[in-house]
Amino acid sequence: MKAFRFIPDKCDICRKCEEACAMVCGTSEKQSGKHVPHIRICQGPQGPFLRLCKHCEDSPCVDACIVESLQRGPDGLVIQDESRCIGCFMCNMVCPHGAMKTIMSKEKAFKCTLMCGKTETPTCVYACDRGALFFEDLRAHNNRIRREKIKELPKR
Amino acid sequence: MKQTKLKRSSRQHVIIGNCIAAVSAAETLRRLNPGDSIVILGDEAVASYSRCLITYYLGDMVDKKHLFSHSEKWYEERDIKLMLSTRALKVDTKNRFVFVSAKGKKKKISYDTLLVATGSTPVFLKSFPYDPDGIIGMRNYDDAQRLKSWAKKGKKAVIIGAGFVGLKSAYGLVKHGVRVKVVELLPTVLGRMTDTEASIRVRDRLTKHELLDIELNNSVISTRRHGDKYMVTYQDGGEEEADFIVASVGVKANTDFLEGTDIEIDRIISVDDCQKTTAEDVYAAGDVCRSRHAVTRQWIYNAIWPVAAAQGRVAACNMSGQNRRYEGNIPMNSVDFYELWVTAIGDVQVEAQDIKEITFKSSGIYQKVKLRDGIPVSFMATGNVDGAGMIRGAIVGKTPWDEFIRRPQAQILPVVNQTDI
Ligand SMILES: Cc1cc2nc3c(=O)[nH]c(=O)nc-3n(C[C@H](O)[C@H](O)[C@H](O)COP(=O)(O)OP(=O)(O)OC[C@H]3O[C@@H](n4cnc5c(N)ncnc54)[C@H](O)[C@@H]3O)c2cc1C
Repeated sequence: MKAFRFIPDKCDICRKCEEACAMVCGTSEKQSGKHVPHIRICQGPQGPFLRLCKHCEDSPCVDACIVESLQRGPDGLVIQDESRCIGCFMCNMVCPHGAMKTIMSKEKAFKCTLMCGKTETPTCVYACDRGALFFEDLRAHNNRIRREKIKELPKR
Repeated sequence: MKQTKLKRSSRQHVIIGNCIAAVSAAETLRRLNPGDSIVILGDEAVASYSRCLITYYLGDMVDKKHLFSHSEKWYEERDIKLMLSTRALKVDTKNRFVFVSAKGKKKKISYDTLLVATGSTPVFLKSFPYDPDGIIGMRNYDDAQRLKSWAKKGKKAVIIGAGFVGLKSAYGLVKHGVRVKVVELLPTVLGRMTDTEASIRVRDRLTKHELLDIELNNSVISTRRHGDKYMVTYQDGGEEEADFIVASVGVKANTDFLEGTDIEIDRIISVDDCQKTTAEDVYAAGDVCRSRHAVTRQWIYNAIWPVAAAQGRVAACNMSGQNRRYEGNIPMNSVDFYELWVTAIGDVQVEAQDIKEITFKSSGIYQKVKLRDGIPVSFMATGNVDGAGMIRGAIVGKTPWDEFIRRPQAQILPVVNQTDI
């Protein structure tokens, strides 16, 4: 299955992915009215890391959602009806990837629903010109990494 | 001729109950058995709704449209026969019948497989017996409707029990201008979800509301009719008048109608990992039965929504001839009061010699992890609960804390950067 893949070494935290996500798909905050993205690039001690829904197969968030706001869509993606969310943060309590975007001022939790590009290129991936973010299945991704590695080999 | 053949090969799956365990089972049954007949028997008058929203509905924070999650059309589309106002009175597991009272009429419904998903109801005690006129629990749509009709400005309510449901009910009632007193036997609010510090933070936040008072270490020893009100007597000798009373000291599984059957019940139904009961082709799921603790593997009573949803699905797979086991879950819950979030995962109050605590404390945030042999066993957070699920993953996966805190993602948790105390 296609999923988001992230190569931390390539990311220089330019935040273009976040900006694009916020513009196209993100959620507006109650007080500031500012659009916040569903994708988050965080600075860790060993470099950047990604916080984004992986659309897991055994999505615990769907079971935990007491208002049935989070659901599995017909195409297998985890989708959300934001209007049903009441901000209990049960989903945040069970997501092993810390992917739920909890917005306290709105008393709601949000996530990537891939609304911007279900099967094609999601906005954030499109916006990444550093080659750090991809939406592809694992095999294609591994091949990509292999190709990159070969390219980096010293020329003889 | 052809028709009889068809009939014989298609089976009838009967589900008693109509909340999350039931609908998640029905949906799975339909997916796996397109030709079978599925019947849901629900004693409430309305189709399935989000039970956890009834206090929000009480407080006018959500409307009816939001509350009702499954319209009658949802059942029709899946060809699920929904019988409302239908109460199961008895089950004959030898001849495979459920005896029901359907809108007052007695009926007999046959089954090939049966799922008991009747959930639980609030407990009442001698000192506060159920009284439709003024002493009720907060469990279903009816309760919410009744409380809504009583919740008028200037009225006074006493809520017995400062657990999850008690505090949420209080939160809903004060929105209508009702003066609310919550009485709790324990020294902390939210039962086993908090420790003293977290309890203080939650209580302070809630009682900032001028109509809401929470009294700990006290209990109700009697309630009696007093004109059109009730006189409540407390253990500490105090007395006060209330217009109505909400009992929220706990729940008990709805198993009365199974008495005398070969279904083993020890207050709750004893199921196995496939959700099978001790009676042939009878399954149970949700608040009515036990489940595994995902870490200790012990049988526990974990009456929470995610468990009911998963158990319903697992039961349906096994009812369809697929062998599926439920891996269990751990006690957990998450709630928000006036923008103060509380998330608790695992046994937060566990105290023992071999338990080590790691705490982060600031004016707005309080987080605590408990470790046994270096492995996290519980996590509690108030104020900032962001990313709590990552620690849940470590608890269930028995990931050593030292290893967990080296993960880049873990850095977003304030408690991760703390040293042991
Ligand atoms: C106010 C409130 C807030 C909650 N908040 C949370 C939360 O935030 N997080 C969480 O995880 N959990 C929460 N819960 C608990 C959660 O709602 C339950 O765990 C869940 O509803 C269990 O689902 P169930 O399908 O097993 O049973 P139930 O939801 O109890 O449904 C059982 C149904 O069966 C019906 N029934 C009973 N006996 C019969 C009979 N003999 N014949 C026919 N029908 C019958 C009942 O009327 C009911 O409709 C909350 C509960 C309440 C009341």
